[in-house]
Amino acid sequence: MKRGFWILAAIIVLLLPWVGNNYFIRLATIMMLYCVLALSWNFIGGLTGYPSFATAAFFGLGAYAGAISQGQGVPMYLAWVIGAALAAIFATGLGLAILRLRGHYFAIASLVVADVLREIVNSTTNLTGGGMGLNLPVLKLGVDAQAKLFYYCMFGIALLTIFTAAYVMRRPLGFGLGCIKQNEDAANIIGINATIFKTIAFSLSAVFVGGAGAFYASWVNYIEPGDVFDILFAIKPIVMVLLGGAGTVSGPIIGAIVFLILEELVWRNFLTFHAGVLGLIVVFLIFYLPDGILDLNYRRWFGWRKN
Amino acid sequence: MNDWIRKDFFRFASFVFILAGILAFSGPVQGAEKVLKIGAPLPLTGPLSPEGQKQVQGYDLWAETANKAGGVKVGSERYKVEIVYNDYQSNTPRAVQLAEKLITEDKVNFLFSPFGSGATKAASGVSEKYGMPTIAATASSEEVYNQGYKFLFGTFTPNPTLTEPLSDIVKAKVPQVKKVAILARNDLFPLAIAQCADVSAKKRGFNVVFFEKYAIGTMDHASALTQIRAAQPEWIFATGYINDLILIRKQMGDLKITAPVVTMIAGPAYKEFTDAAGPLAENVSSASWWNPAVRYKGIDVFGSTENYNKIFQEKYKFIPDYAQASASSVGAIFQIAIEKAGSLDRKKVRDTLAELNVTTFWGDVKFGPTGQIISLKPPVFQIQKGTQVVIYPTEIAQAQFQIGVK
Amino acid sequence: MLAAVLSRRRSLSEHISMLYLQVLLNGLVLGGLYACIAAGFSLVWGVLNVINILHGTFIVIGSYAAYFAYVYFDIHPLVSIPIAAVILFFIGYALQSGVINKVVAAPVLTTLTLTFGLDLFLNNLLIVAFKADYRKVTLENPLGVLSLSGITVPIDRLAAMALALLLTGLLFWVLDASRVGRAIVAVRMDREAAALMGVKVKKIYALTFAIGAVMAGAAGSLMSLIYPISPLNSGIFLGKAFIICVLGGLGSVPGVMVGGLALGVVESFGALAFGPEHAVTLSFIILILFLLFRPTGIMGKRGFQ
Repeated sequence: MKRGFWILAAIIVLLLPWVGNNYFIRLATIMMLYCVLALSWNFIGGLTGYPSFATAAFFGLGAYAGAISQGQGVPMYLAWVIGAALAAIFATGLGLAILRLRGHYFAIASLVVADVLREIVNSTTNLTGGGMGLNLPVLKLGVDAQAKLFYYCMFGIALLTIFTAAYVMRRPLGFGLGCIKQNEDAANIIGINATIFKTIAFSLSAVFVGGAGAFYASWVNYIEPGDVFDILFAIKPIVMVLLGGAGTVSGPIIGAIVFLILEELVWRNFLTFHAGVLGLIVVFLIFYLPDGILDLNYRRWFGWRKN
Repeated sequence: MNDWIRKDFFRFASFVFILAGILAFSGPVQGAEKVLKIGAPLPLTGPLSPEGQKQVQGYDLWAETANKAGGVKVGSERYKVEIVYNDYQSNTPRAVQLAEKLITEDKVNFLFSPFGSGATKAASGVSEKYGMPTIAATASSEEVYNQGYKFLFGTFTPNPTLTEPLSDIVKAKVPQVKKVAILARNDLFPLAIAQCADVSAKKRGFNVVFFEKYAIGTMDHASALTQIRAAQPEWIFATGYINDLILIRKQMGDLKITAPVVTMIAGPAYKEFTDAAGPLAENVSSASWWNPAVRYKGIDVFGSTENYNKIFQEKYKFIPDYAQASASSVGAIFQIAIEKAGSLDRKKVRDTLAELNVTTFWGDVKFGPTGQIISLKPPVFQIQKGTQVVIYPTEIAQAQFQIGVK
Repeated sequence: MLAAVLSRRRSLSEHISMLYLQVLLNGLVLGGLYACIAAGFSLVWGVLNVINILHGTFIVIGSYAAYFAYVYFDIHPLVSIPIAAVILFFIGYALQSGVINKVVAAPVLTTLTLTFGLDLFLNNLLIVAFKADYRKVTLENPLGVLSLSGITVPIDRLAAMALALLLTGLLFWVLDASRVGRAIVAVRMDREAAALMGVKVKKIYALTFAIGAVMAGAAGSLMSLIYPISPLNSGIFLGKAFIICVLGGLGSVPGVMVGGLALGVVESFGALAFGPEHAVTLSFIILILFLLFRPTGIMGKRGFQ
């Protein structure tokens, strides 16, 4: 039953671009981007319990790595791989440094990294264009074709992320991360090398985000430090996972979808107060849905009983 | 108890969601009147919102004025102007997203560019893809127009047209100037214009002894200014947005920095600068693409600069500065082109814009091959006794350049 | 000829040492203000274990209070601190007892996201109410500048710095000497024990948060004299507060003073050495280094001693 549901969903997603106009396709592409971000954060935040705010740093890093590569003539798809790889390598190094910290200190450190990277990008004007931003070559393709192409590429990245997440959760890695989340010292005692597991999770939380960042740069053709290192890229995935429920594969996905719908509704209807409404939604979430929508969903619709 | 609340609530919430989703994605009902829709993606919230608001004032004034005169004439019919505003929250990628939405969903006839060089450049790709004539009211950097696009036009001349006349005046009237210090905000426009100032100064044999950038959001310039004080330049050139420049001018006063010439772009053009800086604003010079003191008689719906100022003051109760005037001019220029082309066909209007050679309240309007305007003579002005006075061009000069900023 | 060369060389080194002295002074004056910005933040973090993202917005509200007091009632910003303090006390107390109390024991993710959401809401409210334009308090009679053989100090900054340090000192005294203060420290050290001794923990939490807000409002009042005011500045203040808390050691008031002064001086000299565009990056890098190698800060102590 469950597998059939997912296959149906996949078919719907594949056919979506033929249903709506370009703006609709754009929204759908963003939705899948959000899925990637949410699932990625889930590795370190949901599974391992480390409140990482570094998603923005990885995204921006991937975006600039991809953009600079393309500027040097590297083909677009390869540039995305470069973005992903660079983000993963950076995360590994960063992880070894800051994963030693716990709780608040780790959160702040991960938060601040995006700012530091942004300022570094701002200062190295010759390489990155600094405050003036960076342009990417526009594809020689019709508007509609481009919209669909990027949509399917994003879908591909999202699929990769989903499969990786599902795979990790069924393997010892996923189990080990769960142990670390419960009690890291105990996990160490029973033989789980917390440092290695955490670092892998952290890198996993970066690799697809970096790729998505590079994709994003190619998609919008122009990036600025303030945009791609925006702290909201760190906050939104967290909210999405809170919304949908951490620790599963479908949780972050549903959270991402619901969040996008909310965001679009709020944006269209509250011209000057959408940020405020978003804030209220976040507060509301924390109080009333601490386990996410999915928790309620499954139990009622699939006839499972609460234990 | 908790469970019950959750279950019911969730049911209700999902119902609301679906309903709202359907409502949100369905388009508006079309009226029977003939309407000319122009899309205006603007930063109505976020750090750029003050600038966005100025654009709204300019666009609204034009729409009102045009509608009061009967609307825009398209062939034998009259169209009512409707501006479709959308907020991109000072976030450039959203501006691009909005541009696409306005074109594909709201089906606007024409597009106003988002604010600033960065967002304009980013969104211009969308305009080009869809063949949508777009005029930018606030983009001056040449890099914005260098992509070979055919559908983007702009009402600001390139940055050197601001720094060159300024440097000429300084060279001619202030012979003691030998050393120049430049402090620039690390942002697209302020940095670009600072670089132009650097080039203009060096061209005239001045020695640029200091050129540093400050990060966006810098709250304290004391260190940079202390270094400038140590270098003792005769010409200090600072760029940034109005809050930066107010702070810099105040801290210059704190550090007792004086110089024969102090130029700031783009703060002094706004009244808020003079209000906030008080006596410190005296003799600060600046340049911009328009000043309420210029005098042009145009074929646009406003008729003349004086009339524009008058109508603006009636509606908003203060004198316009170049930001609002540029926004209004973009609307007025679209109107001229549409009426000349006699149709709303995008290609036709685009071609008419490219051939345009008219005078408006904004100045002479002729677009160059890149789409950027080439016919303007940006005024150089100075704050004397609390008001802006135009120094250049000499035809409309109101006063002489004064030396010495304390 | 030789005399001319010698005299020129002497004034060059004089020049340089004057430059350094001025930069140092700039940094110290800035640092005093910074200490005041961070004091409330450190208190809340140390006692409630809550990272209060709203702190920056509280400071901005304090600035607006001082601005409007000046524009409408002609009250000098240095004097209107109590007004800002009262307003912020109520906002802080209400927020804490109404909302934040519910998540005090929650993991950092929850509290951080919650205060972030609240901040989004409050900040947007400010923007809608007051617009994002920058306001500036321009004094009718400016306070002027003190000048000693080439080194200048603006009097308004000096006054603000003095008041900032005074307020921070007052906070320290309150925590140390008053009953309420001792109760707050007790709760910080051991919640259950304090409750057993008859301390109403929830009320203490609310009070602490309110005091934190008051310090923020006071800092904002002082800042209105010096910086342009806008809701958009809240993030910048918050960033500084973070760094100062880590630099100085969490939850310690002397630590906040040391951290603030240290940050001011580092930023000042950093701008001189690396250029103004790097000053901010530099302070963040220092934050990360401290987090990695000395999370207890310069003073090396945690909690209130």
